[in-house]
Amino acid sequence: MEIPWDIILIQTVNGLVTGMILALVASGLTLIFGIMDVVNFAHGELFMLGAYMGVVVLTTTGNFWLALVIAVLIVALLGAAMQITTLRPLLGRDPLNTILATFGLSLVLQNYALWQFGPVARKIQEPFTGQFTLFYLQYPWYRIVIAVLSAAIITGLYLFLKYGRYGIWIRATTQDRVMAQAMGIPVPWVHTAVFAIGAGMAAASGVLFGPLVGVNHAMGLDWVLKAFIVVVVGGMGNLGGSIAAAIFISLLEAYASIWVSPSQAIIVSSIVLILTLLFRPTGLFVPTPK
Amino acid sequence: MSAPQTSPQPLVSVEGIHTYYGKSHILHGVSLDIGPGEVVGLIGRNGVGKSTTLKSIMGLVSPSEGKITFQGQAITHQPPHKLARLGIGYVPEDRRIFKLLTVMENLRTGLDRAGVEDARKQALLDKVFAFFPVLAERRRQAGGTLSGGEQQMLAIARAMMLEPRIILLDEPTEGLMPRMVSQIKEIIGVLHRDGVAILLVEQNVPLTLEACQRIYFMEKGVVRHHAIASKLSVNDPVIHQYLGV
Repeated sequence: MEIPWDIILIQTVNGLVTGMILALVASGLTLIFGIMDVVNFAHGELFMLGAYMGVVVLTTTGNFWLALVIAVLIVALLGAAMQITTLRPLLGRDPLNTILATFGLSLVLQNYALWQFGPVARKIQEPFTGQFTLFYLQYPWYRIVIAVLSAAIITGLYLFLKYGRYGIWIRATTQDRVMAQAMGIPVPWVHTAVFAIGAGMAAASGVLFGPLVGVNHAMGLDWVLKAFIVVVVGGMGNLGGSIAAAIFISLLEAYASIWVSPSQAIIVSSIVLILTLLFRPTGLFVPTPK
Repeated sequence: MSAPQTSPQPLVSVEGIHTYYGKSHILHGVSLDIGPGEVVGLIGRNGVGKSTTLKSIMGLVSPSEGKITFQGQAITHQPPHKLARLGIGYVPEDRRIFKLLTVMENLRTGLDRAGVEDARKQALLDKVFAFFPVLAERRRQAGGTLSGGEQQMLAIARAMMLEPRIILLDEPTEGLMPRMVSQIKEIIGVLHRDGVAILLVEQNVPLTLEACQRIYFMEKGVVRHHAIASKLSVNDPVIHQYLGV
């Protein structure tokens, strides 16, 4: 059998684009898990609400970039409010409590969106429609821009965590919540801020990805499932691992869909998940635990 | 019995606190005072509640009864981060260095407070690095890669970043080489000269007698006895009674 190099290259680009969006969703999820041991089942709904906010602002102002910024800010604020009202009182309880709480939030938000925006999918118009030729395909520039923007946001997050004053607070709190408090770090507010950052990142991916699919109330489900797989495969709470896993899994799926249909290709990520849980439950992309 | 007078205006005053871990009753009405700039020892066998007393003062566990004041102000149910900002530094028994943060980042957790100017931050760092040159050498190294003694120095240096009025020091010499122990003794002396009060929990009796002005003896969750350090000797029957050495 001849190797279809052109298709493989196209799928590499596709995989990287999806991988970067997925990494944007998953890094918020893994950050939240790392710092407060909360598995946020409402993360997909934050993604979905971000997309809807994008639709609303875009319809009012006609400016995609403005819509992106405003959607991120609104959903970040909403995330902060969710954390203060729902998760803060549950801190330190059995993880099952927070799982149920965030699952409840996800149902509320999904049905709110259905009630507010109706069942018909909305469309976000991409900010530009230019294309370039990739072999026999006209490939939209917008997809490349999504990947680059996602990478830029993740890099920004990394630099903030590495060098920023509050970044150090976040890392210290992630490592030792009690000692962080004893050093004067206002841990409850650090938790709120991290939840807001995660929510904002989910919203950004929702707006950026909106033009490629329709915006509807259930769009978060597919993403959050995949993001969970990525977070587990990358090592729970490990930011770098999640990003690597997002790209790895997206590339695998993209390659698999050369030979099978895209809906069957999703099986690949489940297989990776199962193998990871069986043979390396701490995550594929973390150093071997000592 | 020597029942020394405590200073009229204590910096920290603990009045009859009862603290529980779940259902186990650990502190049964502990009372003690620490004056401004005073070094006070807290001695007793393992499990009598010395560390729990420190944690209660720091707000890490909440007493169900009793009262703790700092400079006359009630702080009993304040969150720890507010107490740290008020001027209470905490050096826990297991040091609790942020292992994945560098030495410098560990120090910055206490240094990056609102309202501290850069010049003042630098002065604080210079001071700490002068005491502990090894920390200056390793400032870019992850805290987890330091030796036990170096981690202890980092834990003390980190608490000093808060410019505290009092440091709660929990078994600082545990498991350290003799050379490190004398360095810890030195730093306690330096802090004392700077006017920082210290509540010291220690098993090392000679060090405690030398470093402290007053000593409280704990047994089964209460303070049983209270003495001036200079009036005790290492072989004092009181020490035998409460420490069994």
